[in-house]
Amino acid sequence: MSFPHPPSEQELHAYVDGRLGAERRQALERYLADHPALAAELQGWQDDIRRLRAALADPTLLALNPRLDPLRIRQRRRERGRRRLGIAASLLLAVALGTGGGWQLRERALQASIPPMQDALEAHRLFALQQTPAVDLRSVDIGVMEQWLRDTFGHVAHLDAMVERGLTPVGSRLLVNEQGAAALLLFEDAGGERISLYLRAPGRLYGTMLVGSRAQGELQTHYWSRGGYNYALVSHIGDPRADQLQRALRF
Amino acid sequence: MLDDDALRELLPRLRRFALWLIRDPAGADDLVQATLEKALSRWAGKRAEGELRAWLFSILYRQFLDGQRRQRRQAAFMALLGRQPAAEAPPPEQSLQARATLGAFERLPAEQRALLILVGVEGLSYAEAACTLEMPIGTVMSRLSRARKALRALEDGDAPGPQLRRQK
Repeated sequence: MSFPHPPSEQELHAYVDGRLGAERRQALERYLADHPALAAELQGWQDDIRRLRAALADPTLLALNPRLDPLRIRQRRRERGRRRLGIAASLLLAVALGTGGGWQLRERALQASIPPMQDALEAHRLFALQQTPAVDLRSVDIGVMEQWLRDTFGHVAHLDAMVERGLTPVGSRLLVNEQGAAALLLFEDAGGERISLYLRAPGRLYGTMLVGSRAQGELQTHYWSRGGYNYALVSHIGDPRADQLQRALRF
Repeated sequence: MLDDDALRELLPRLRRFALWLIRDPAGADDLVQATLEKALSRWAGKRAEGELRAWLFSILYRQFLDGQRRQRRQAAFMALLGRQPAAEAPPPEQSLQARATLGAFERLPAEQRALLILVGVEGLSYAEAACTLEMPIGTVMSRLSRARKALRALEDGDAPGPQLRRQK
């Protein structure tokens, strides 16, 4: 076999790398005999690669690196897997906490939009400010009102403090809010000024132990907790009896 | 499962390839480690022995290229740390000429170094080398010519000569 045409690039490389079959190699060698420049170049390539092989020597001469052992790498991968799982778990926890925090924020937003004992204020507006209040029990006797409270509400309250400040019972009304029953007790002084006392079970938004007061429009609400109930006293703004009644009825 | 013994046997070759790509022993071993990790996570269990080597080389080369891209971005930072590629002391038994060849080889671009190692030292077939470097076999041939000419030229103290003319 001969090379009627110049050999291909691939054949030249294959020759240098010793990958030509015997027949092709001999044919190429005959061709090279007539082309000394190419022969010299290929010889140079062969020398280079031989020296390169020698210089790079035996790869096993590299000092062992235990961290590259497949077993170690498998272990590390497993550890990393576990760590990732841990990170995932903590992320999940963070998300859970974030959600919880979100709920707390939501609660706070709700609290901001729904002030404490707002229902007492609404009840007062609805019932107490009418000319003839719509009440379940019309009574001017404080004993009767306390009895009604005990009977319908299951709660004992001592309302003497109201009477002591010139407030007489007008009537009482059983109401319903999201926690169940609530009671509105309506009082009136000699001048026709009305003050209402509102009792309810602690709500989800506002638990027990809340003490304070706030004003809204022409009304003020004093609130506190006692005996497992939340109380609200709604009166005209600036009514000095409200503070005294709050102190008296809290204990 | 990928056989640990088969990996262990190829480990020195992977390290050598990495070392001559990256020219920094610590960096080379990092590269090998990353390669093995990738290989262990991607192993599909379908490769024959011979293919395993080419496959690992190709993963390593890809990681090397990715690393180079990263390194270019981090170059300023690395300079700040004062970390320099460790100068490799050539093995003592090397001849002067082998050292000259090595000196020239070191100055070749990484792709040419990769080609010469894969084909010349590791003995990969041209098809395997093409696969490893993700280029057509014709490109492997022309780049191999360029690499060999460049190596020659550097050893002779010249700039790389023109590409070998292909005659049809």
